[in-house]
Amino acid sequence: MAHNEMLAMILAGGRGSRLRDLTNKVAKPAVYYGGKYRIIDFPLSNCANSGIDTVGVLTQYESVLLNSYVAQDGRWGLDSKDSGVYVLTPREKADEGLDVYRGTADAISQNIDFIDNYNPEYILVLSGDHIYKMNYAKMLSFHKKMGADATIAVRPVPMKEASRFGIMNTDADGRIIEFEEKPKKPKSNLASMGIYIFSWKLMRKMLVEDMNNPESDHDFGKDIIPRMLSDKKKLFAYEFKGYWKDVGTIDSLWEANMDLLETKNELNLNDSSWLIYTEDVSTLPQYIGKNAKIKKAYITQGVRVEGSVTNSVLFTGAVVAPGARVVDSVLMPGVVVEDGATVTRALVAENVHIGKKAKVGSKTSEEITLVANDVKGGTK
Amino acid sequence: MSAFRAFGIVSSADNSIHVEGLHDYRPIGAFSFLGRFRVIDFPISNMSNSGMDRIQVYLRTRPRSIAEHIGSGRHYNINSKRGKIQMLFSEDNNQHNIYNNDIAAYMENIDIIERMHQEYVIIAPSYMVYKQDYCQLLETHIQSGAEVTLLYHRVENARDYYQNCRLVTVNRQKGITSLERNLGTAKEKNIFMDTYCMKKEVFIGLIRAAHELSSVYTLADIIGIRCKDMDIRGYQHKGYFASLLSLSDYYRASLDLLDYNMASGLFSNSWPIYTRTTDSCPTKYFETAKVENSFISNGCLVEGTVEDSIVGRGVTIKKGVTIKNSIIMAHSVIEEGVHIENAIVDKWAHIIHAKEIRGTIEQPQYIKRRDTL
Repeated sequence: MAHNEMLAMILAGGRGSRLRDLTNKVAKPAVYYGGKYRIIDFPLSNCANSGIDTVGVLTQYESVLLNSYVAQDGRWGLDSKDSGVYVLTPREKADEGLDVYRGTADAISQNIDFIDNYNPEYILVLSGDHIYKMNYAKMLSFHKKMGADATIAVRPVPMKEASRFGIMNTDADGRIIEFEEKPKKPKSNLASMGIYIFSWKLMRKMLVEDMNNPESDHDFGKDIIPRMLSDKKKLFAYEFKGYWKDVGTIDSLWEANMDLLETKNELNLNDSSWLIYTEDVSTLPQYIGKNAKIKKAYITQGVRVEGSVTNSVLFTGAVVAPGARVVDSVLMPGVVVEDGATVTRALVAENVHIGKKAKVGSKTSEEITLVANDVKGGTK
Repeated sequence: MSAFRAFGIVSSADNSIHVEGLHDYRPIGAFSFLGRFRVIDFPISNMSNSGMDRIQVYLRTRPRSIAEHIGSGRHYNINSKRGKIQMLFSEDNNQHNIYNNDIAAYMENIDIIERMHQEYVIIAPSYMVYKQDYCQLLETHIQSGAEVTLLYHRVENARDYYQNCRLVTVNRQKGITSLERNLGTAKEKNIFMDTYCMKKEVFIGLIRAAHELSSVYTLADIIGIRCKDMDIRGYQHKGYFASLLSLSDYYRASLDLLDYNMASGLFSNSWPIYTRTTDSCPTKYFETAKVENSFISNGCLVEGTVEDSIVGRGVTIKKGVTIKNSIIMAHSVIEEGVHIENAIVDKWAHIIHAKEIRGTIEQPQYIKRRDTL
């Protein structure tokens, strides 16, 4: 890809309110995943690995942490001369009031001046809260080959679940003929992943029109894509195969972490040709103590295990004291499980202390227990 | 106070030193340490944490691994405009040449040393591991009015270990009265930590004096000669200290850190040891894994048993493997049923056919880099 031929814009404004206390103070893309990562590391690393130079990150909800996190562009190698990661929050403009981003399309429209600085041929619009590995350069080649105006990444979902997604109906060549949001009677099982490549000249024109349209919700799915289809523009579906997860709830976030414990894990974070980059921390390697017991676990540097860990994911700096038991759980950075405490089927938030002999979570609970506050020691 | 008034020099080991096996592939500064570090991370982190941002690293041989590891130096928290890590070579001499010593390297780069803006210099070895706030060292040096201050560590096993180190004799006023080789004559000795603090002008004077006296004199030699007529003081270091000038020293010093209290003394949150990240993912332990008293780095796949050992990044340990009292370096693959005890397995080794690898605590077995056994 030539320098800045395609600019990436990551939509990272989502609150993720179903993640409850985990997103009280941070936006969903900043939520931890997989022992050492934050969710937004995935789209950012995919951009870096795909040869994209410049990435705009559109933030809105509780964006302080996310802003300072993504501004360190060196973490993803996006700090060479002509590249960078830029945080774009809603801003006050000369002849208008301060406006929040009214929708996904509006977030891009309000930053047309930023994009114009780079004069790209194409723009890639992504969501900041999905976990997957994808080569956007291949998607761009497909876009060019098809001579498309827009290319939308899709993935096949089980037909019986298709009515929960935005479904693309395509012809034999993969050209999108119809887009249905949560159809009652789905005609296809190709669900939109919210990943779009647009030819910028056309999209710029459409966004300017859309901005001033009082009828519009300024959303790609609701307004822009249907508009393109009715204008008979060339939209193509690009099928993605591989691991993809939208971790919208505590249960699905826990599950996505547990996926990493599978022997044949589809996400394979160990692939040296497609690494996921993240914040670098200065710690000791993980230390497994004299009487520790470890069985099926995914553990990162800075962790200290003296007790027993089974089927669990432990983030940077987590401590499991002697006699403590952690089963089927996720311990986020800095969690301390003190002597004799038991954590079962739980997701424990950053820096939470579980006191001596305390018991949290349950083997039989239907839902995963979220532990967001310190737990005092138990009596038994 | 920060030690910004001093620039740093990270020195190489004498050319008489050769650490079995490991040294064939890289200088001691590039040796892996505790799985995820390289030895040179310690002196550079000490300098960076002390507020020093101009650092010269002198390289004698095989510079690739160190040059790659240090790179721009940004991971050491050194300002990329104001600060700088320079890698300097003694290019005129070959590696085994007796003339290829520290003084020769300093002479060759004397104009760079003279141009440094800082008033003081702190020289630390790339082959020793310790934590030291150089602000304190510099402060003490300035207060004392000494011409040179040397860092030393008191040990009780100088007869059996530290064979390639130098010793200092310190009088009651902390004056250094002698600096000489460790001949293993006594247990209790003050090991010289090859760390110096002095004014830049004094340093330049010593370089020129050594060079004029003899082409083979080192900085330690000239100080040993001059300590009778110069004001040279000692500064005692406390805490973990390791000199890595032989394979058995390296092995013992590494495994000593399996005492978690000792390790956490060396790695405190207020004194981070920086290193280059390799972006490896967390380590995966399988159903059959059994691990005790070990440091494990990221990116490993562990199905077997590991006890009292240090495992580097991206190591694969298959089912039925037992590893005891050993150091396994990055990207090695240990196949099913292999038993490894008291060994050092260098990077990218593949242990498959040899089912038994055993050394002794005193003489660990070394397995070569990229070797298939």
